[in-house]
Amino acid sequence: MLKKYKPFLHAGAIDTMAYRFNILIWAGITVCQVACLVFLWLAVYRSNAGGMDAEIHGFTYREMIAYVVLTTIFGFVTFNNDTLWNINNDIKKGTIGNYLIKPISYRGKFAATSLGNLATMTVMFGLPFYTAALVILRSLGFLPDLSFPAFFAHLGLFLAAGLCASLLNDTIAYIFGVLCFYTSSGWGLNSLKTTLISFLSGTLLPLAFFPAGLRELVNWMPFAGMSQNPVLILMMKYDLARSLRCVALTAAWIVALELFAKLLFSRAVRKVTVHGG
Amino acid sequence: MIEVNDLSKVFRKPIRGNGLAGMVKTLFSRQYEEVRAVDGISFTVPDGEIVGYIGANGAGKSTTIKMMCGILTPSSGSVRIDGAEPYRKRRQVAQHIGVVFGQKTQLWWDIPLIESFKVLKEIYRVSDADYKERMDFLGEVLDITRFLSQPVRTLSLGERMRADLAASMLHNPRILFLDEPTIGMDVLVKEKIRLAIHTLNKTYGTTVVLTTHDMTDIEDLCSRIILLEKGAILYDGPLSQLRNRFGNLKTLTLTVPAEVRAETAPVLSPELALDQEEGRLILRFDADKLPLEQVIQYAFRDLRAMDMKIAEISVGDVVKTILAQQEAEYAEKV
Repeated sequence: MLKKYKPFLHAGAIDTMAYRFNILIWAGITVCQVACLVFLWLAVYRSNAGGMDAEIHGFTYREMIAYVVLTTIFGFVTFNNDTLWNINNDIKKGTIGNYLIKPISYRGKFAATSLGNLATMTVMFGLPFYTAALVILRSLGFLPDLSFPAFFAHLGLFLAAGLCASLLNDTIAYIFGVLCFYTSSGWGLNSLKTTLISFLSGTLLPLAFFPAGLRELVNWMPFAGMSQNPVLILMMKYDLARSLRCVALTAAWIVALELFAKLLFSRAVRKVTVHGG
Repeated sequence: MIEVNDLSKVFRKPIRGNGLAGMVKTLFSRQYEEVRAVDGISFTVPDGEIVGYIGANGAGKSTTIKMMCGILTPSSGSVRIDGAEPYRKRRQVAQHIGVVFGQKTQLWWDIPLIESFKVLKEIYRVSDADYKERMDFLGEVLDITRFLSQPVRTLSLGERMRADLAASMLHNPRILFLDEPTIGMDVLVKEKIRLAIHTLNKTYGTTVVLTTHDMTDIEDLCSRIILLEKGAILYDGPLSQLRNRFGNLKTLTLTVPAEVRAETAPVLSPELALDQEEGRLILRFDADKLPLEQVIQYAFRDLRAMDMKIAEISVGDVVKTILAQQEAEYAEKV
């Protein structure tokens, strides 16, 4: 059954390469962003009352810089996703009909495409970027000893967490995309989604900085598994047991949100109105 | 087999005010207008039949097709394709139907045509042997082999339409829905498309539902037509009966000397309509009421005809007459 989706997996992988110039520009912007964030955090730690080497919410400045660099790379590699836009386009142009008359699931098509995307991004950008970042950060003493075998266990869990994060991101993008059936305001929905995710996933600020009650809540929400948790697994800030729990929680959220997406789509599709032609 | 039972589709359309003031008002209070695009229609299409589904623009043809192939969900009533409702069992039904919308391509725009076919092969799980057989067959009847390696966006409209048709037939569907497959095509391409539909129907026994504005399509292909107007069925039956609905109408076109004019010509019978058209006279009559022989004698003797052409009324004229009558009745009611 899954073989049906192979062409979409393939297309996702190829398309990413086709737009490599776009991606290179994004990579440039991302490097500037990281530089800004590093200087920002250095300034924060320098003005800290306890001195440069004091921890803030459990992060030393070295860890914070490693965190900022790694979450940025993580976001760049994992969240390269056009699902929401493509659904919005399909609805606006009426091309959704082309998929509704084919014996494939609309959801499955997008999941396969984003997996293809993820594969290309991981090989083309993830591999060199992570390797360079890990080597440099380690040599500056910003990361703990990355020795075998402990690090390899974490690396394995990080890859699993990354896959889950990417799938979850696609599920959420799909849900927001399906909402376009009701509002046809893809741009607004996309901004809402991006803001929600960057704030609640710890991309903007580690969740440890949130007030205690909110932090507890956010830790149970799906978003923490989309950025903060995978990176902290890689940095070995979490022990193996906690890392496993994080991955399991994200996987559970994927299942729950997929079921919700299925329900939502089956209602939304009745709203399809394609007149004429 | 297609079973359509008391099928309706109602669209809700917000009523927008005019101008800036009207637009602001629409923001706060929304009123909706209900449009009944399809209004309680029923029919059954048995396996292997080619049905022409015709009617004016906006009569509800495309809406019906979209409900039959699972894109739109009916407001009430039901559609069953071999027993399953397409909007409920979308994927199951999709495996056995093929759809072409003449206005829109379903092929992937930027990749070579052959790649689109390969994608469809995977999606429909067509076996290698079937794929080869089908590609040979379609390549021949639709003449698409020549441009298989070109990206779809570089194809001409006629080539693209043939490619779209081939794409819809690749998985050998039991039912084919064709929504204006000959729109914008030249005569030769139209002929090719008709021949392909005909061959497919004969070879595989495929059921075809076809909408078109081209009556030649209907006359060449369809044994049965369903005529739709304002969302309701006006006529459902064999083509031959529709033609005779207004009697055995005939048209005689005469070449006559310049001095013979419609206004001054002797009158044979009130049953005969006489029209002038640049040096020719057009005679319209019902051959069941006024024998053809009598009219021909009259043409040579009284009108001094030098040449003559006899034609039966075309299906297009019949449909035009029905629709015009309907329009007049509708105008009277309002």
